[in-house]
Amino acid sequence: MLHLLRVDLKKLTGYRTFWVVCGLYFLTLAFVTASGMEFLKWLASKGAEFGTSININRIPLYHFPDVWQNLVFISGFFKLVLAIMVVISITNEYTYRTVRQNIIDGLSRWEFLQSKMLTNLLLSLMSVAMVFIIAMATGFIYSPVLRVEDVLADLEFFPAYFLEIFAFLSYALMLGVLVQRSGLTIILLMLSHMIEAIIKVNLPVAIEDAKMIFPMESISNLVAMPFARYAFQEIQDYVKISSVAIALVWTIIFNGIAYWRLKAADI
Amino acid sequence: MLGPNGSGKTTTLGMLMGVVNPSAGSFSWFGEAPSHLTRRRIGAVLEHPIFYPYLSGQKNLELNALIKGASAASIRKVLEIVELSARKDDKYKNYSLGMKQRLAIASALLNDPMILILDEPTNGLDPMGIAEIRELIKRIAADGKTIILASHLLDEVQKVCSHFAVLKRGKLMHYGPVDEVGKGEELVEVAAFHDDLLVRLQEFAGTASVKKEKSFFVVQMKDGFHSLELNRYLFDKGIVANHLATRKKSLESQFLEILSDTDATPAAR
Repeated sequence: MLHLLRVDLKKLTGYRTFWVVCGLYFLTLAFVTASGMEFLKWLASKGAEFGTSININRIPLYHFPDVWQNLVFISGFFKLVLAIMVVISITNEYTYRTVRQNIIDGLSRWEFLQSKMLTNLLLSLMSVAMVFIIAMATGFIYSPVLRVEDVLADLEFFPAYFLEIFAFLSYALMLGVLVQRSGLTIILLMLSHMIEAIIKVNLPVAIEDAKMIFPMESISNLVAMPFARYAFQEIQDYVKISSVAIALVWTIIFNGIAYWRLKAADI
Repeated sequence: MLGPNGSGKTTTLGMLMGVVNPSAGSFSWFGEAPSHLTRRRIGAVLEHPIFYPYLSGQKNLELNALIKGASAASIRKVLEIVELSARKDDKYKNYSLGMKQRLAIASALLNDPMILILDEPTNGLDPMGIAEIRELIKRIAADGKTIILASHLLDEVQKVCSHFAVLKRGKLMHYGPVDEVGKGEELVEVAAFHDDLLVRLQEFAGTASVKKEKSFFVVQMKDGFHSLELNRYLFDKGIVANHLATRKKSLESQFLEILSDTDATPAAR
């Protein structure tokens, strides 16, 4: 297993684009998640211009346990950057035909896919670790009172966040294996949400509830938008087991299709 | 493995190396069912060399060594064999075609394989590059490795191979040792300053047919007759040849013969 991860990392670590994209990803992720207070201050100053005063200290953006869901939700938007990196990594193998040489040299097709999946796993875990550290740090800085039960509450968002990233990267990997051209794959990846939305809008009323089993929807449903709670609205501040189950099934389907395609193809 | 372009050489090798799914039939390597593990014991370069262009030669070999489970020491060894040690840290995309070809052979030699598969290894190279690769192939063969070479360059095959097979539209047309090419009926070139030479040649008991070619006649001998008997016959008739040469049938003529025989049933294995 570790051997296969090393194979894929060997390809990536010598690739400058990989460092640039990953660097940008982790930097923007860190910067955006850590600068929520600055955003609130900006919001308050704008509000002041229009004569509404917002007391930013009454918005517990970084207070335990709110900070967990808030940062995990925001971080979810950046997964597209990581997914584009995954697309580049897999489509390069087709452009350079190195997937063919890898097989000739003695990887099985399953091992080849595994090496890519393991990189996805690693990138997902790194994202989780990154967001966890930032949330932990900002939580300790901004929380007015520290209570152990608040710090330990709602940690379920991290496994959910992990699944969100890994499912989406699996989707990107599958698209790459199916389409094999980087430009087209990236466009499809970016339009996926929109294409899915168009289909959902046109669903017959009778099967409207089927919306939640759509792949992009199921990935977004893992972590619900938390910010409405600061406008005194009810939010979903937990992870639904049904959402996890659906996203998990999609993850298996994505990787399964990639494997099936790779196995059936002449490369 | 010989055959015209599109005869299925690369496809056949692709199936043997697991990148093309066969629609029917089976094969085995080393008496075992083929798998990715048997492939690790074979070094293969199909068509042109394939590497990650942004990685150096050294890094590419490190990657392939990782895949094959070869040691780091073997990288240094194969780089020396193909004489690329000095340029190992240059990016692959900056290599010349000859260097790419050599790096591919180096990569195939990682893990000390028992079998080396090379698919048109001299394709697109200049005469120097071709000579270098041929030398390399001979040197590797001298080490006792089996080399399977696909080519449409007959000269190359005759020079470096011991056995050959001819493919046509995916069918095996012929299989045999290269040495046997040219056995069978003999062709003798004859020239002499004599007006009746053609008639005399046709009268000879051992003549199958006579053909005029440039400044001489080419006599196809019947089985069991050789240039010696022809020479003696001519001398007895008072004709002294100023040119008498036995022509070996080249692999090229045999190859064309095999291919032109369109109705021929594929050779039995």
